[in-house]
Amino acid sequence: MAREKWKYLVKDFDKMVDTYGLAGNLRQCLACGKCVGDCPAASVSPSYNSRQIIQDVLDGNQKRLLASEEIWHCLWCASCYRACPSGIYFPMLMMQIRFRAVEAGFGLKYFQTYQKLALKAMTEGMTFVPREKGRAKVEKLRSEMGLSPWPEVSDKAKSEYNALFEMTGSKAWVDSVANKPEAPVDLNYSKGRINLE
Amino acid sequence: MNKKRVMSLEEKLPSVPEAIYLFRSCTGTLQYPGVENAIRHICGLMGIEVIMDPDQTCCSGYLLTCSAYLPEFSLAVTARNHALAEKRNLDIYTFCNGCYAYNCEFAHLLEDQKTRDTANQLIGRFGYNYQGRAKVYHVQELYYRLKDRIAEKMVYPLKGLRVAAHYGCHYLLQEGVIDDFDLPTFHEEILQALGATPVYYTERRACCGYGVGKVFTHKEEVVLPHLLNKLSSIRDEGAQLITTVCPGCNVAMDREQPHLSQMGRGEFQIPVIDLGQLIALSLGASPVKLGFNANTIKLDGILEYLGIDKGAQV
Repeated sequence: MAREKWKYLVKDFDKMVDTYGLAGNLRQCLACGKCVGDCPAASVSPSYNSRQIIQDVLDGNQKRLLASEEIWHCLWCASCYRACPSGIYFPMLMMQIRFRAVEAGFGLKYFQTYQKLALKAMTEGMTFVPREKGRAKVEKLRSEMGLSPWPEVSDKAKSEYNALFEMTGSKAWVDSVANKPEAPVDLNYSKGRINLE
Repeated sequence: MNKKRVMSLEEKLPSVPEAIYLFRSCTGTLQYPGVENAIRHICGLMGIEVIMDPDQTCCSGYLLTCSAYLPEFSLAVTARNHALAEKRNLDIYTFCNGCYAYNCEFAHLLEDQKTRDTANQLIGRFGYNYQGRAKVYHVQELYYRLKDRIAEKMVYPLKGLRVAAHYGCHYLLQEGVIDDFDLPTFHEEILQALGATPVYYTERRACCGYGVGKVFTHKEEVVLPHLLNKLSSIRDEGAQLITTVCPGCNVAMDREQPHLSQMGRGEFQIPVIDLGQLIALSLGASPVKLGFNANTIKLDGILEYLGIDKGAQV
């Protein structure tokens, strides 16, 4: 496989990704591959490789990392964290890689689903609240088993939840992506790995 | 790995609480509300008061991991929920692995003074103050603690029912849990105490596949192939029932079985219920109250096997 040309590499990219400082010391990665061996996402999509992703972050291979489909395959089970002899909290790294990807306009088609869930959660104080039809089903089920038809979430809880969403800038974050165009991806694969021209 | 990950049950939960602050799980209350009743039934028999707070909101971890929330928001929400429990002088008991993991993780991050001040400033406007006094537990720890007392009060022994336990990732990955990540056995011990036969299967520690919104975006590429491996290995061991301790895992393994049956590796018809529901069932709670109607794969066969009338009222 041809090595990527140096001009793509971004210096100190690891610090740009892990802005919250939650992922641990990436430079201590031994590249032992235990994380990949334990990864359920890698077992079904071999091109997803957490060791490679850490290497890309360290190398500053921003272009390949953010545009790749692979970063959306992580299941966040944290088996990699458990297996890591260097205490790298890979799930926290993955979360922040996705922040950067969305900022750069990649994976918006996935992000928009989560954005809808988030905006819905704001009015309900709960995540995954179904629409009309599903709502009637939940009410019927809960009544049958002698529970209140709808989970008791107070108006106070809902309004404070919503207010915190705005105050912390989370609303601005999801809104900022609302009408963004999806950035074009020009990656091609050979033997399950991404090539860069 | 260099931190203390596993602690003994006595160390973690020295005494059985008189009352618990039951943390409402969004998926649990909307998809499998019977779990709430199951917990109330078990705790009622054991003399533990269950308090659910209408002011409590979603734990806000899931959408953070989907990158739709910012960490600041999830931290403030956690501080707020914990402040509510602290006001009542209660410890938080979750019945969802997600709620457990995020509450633990965020409480851990809130130990940092600067982070805590920021969160307190945000929730201070509503009159809350987070001090970090409330501890976070999962109800499965309580079940394990009460195992012997549960066995004494058993009404319907499980007659050697072959049960496969699914632990879920987000409980065992945390620090200070009561069993080992690679080879946990405490569900099997509870099952044995109830008279069931625990089933050990190859993919026992595998994830349910529903993590971070994958079902909305990568169902065909990631979730279904993964679940196919997991459920095939459960079926190969001849399990009659699967238990979970996380409504999210329960949704994944229950709701997707009809889709898995279309993938050419045979039919999947294994009911999936919460461990609490199984315990409550053996303690004599009625199937109506436990809300088995919510399940995609019906439990009629299991109830028949155990000799329980499915229409029995409370």
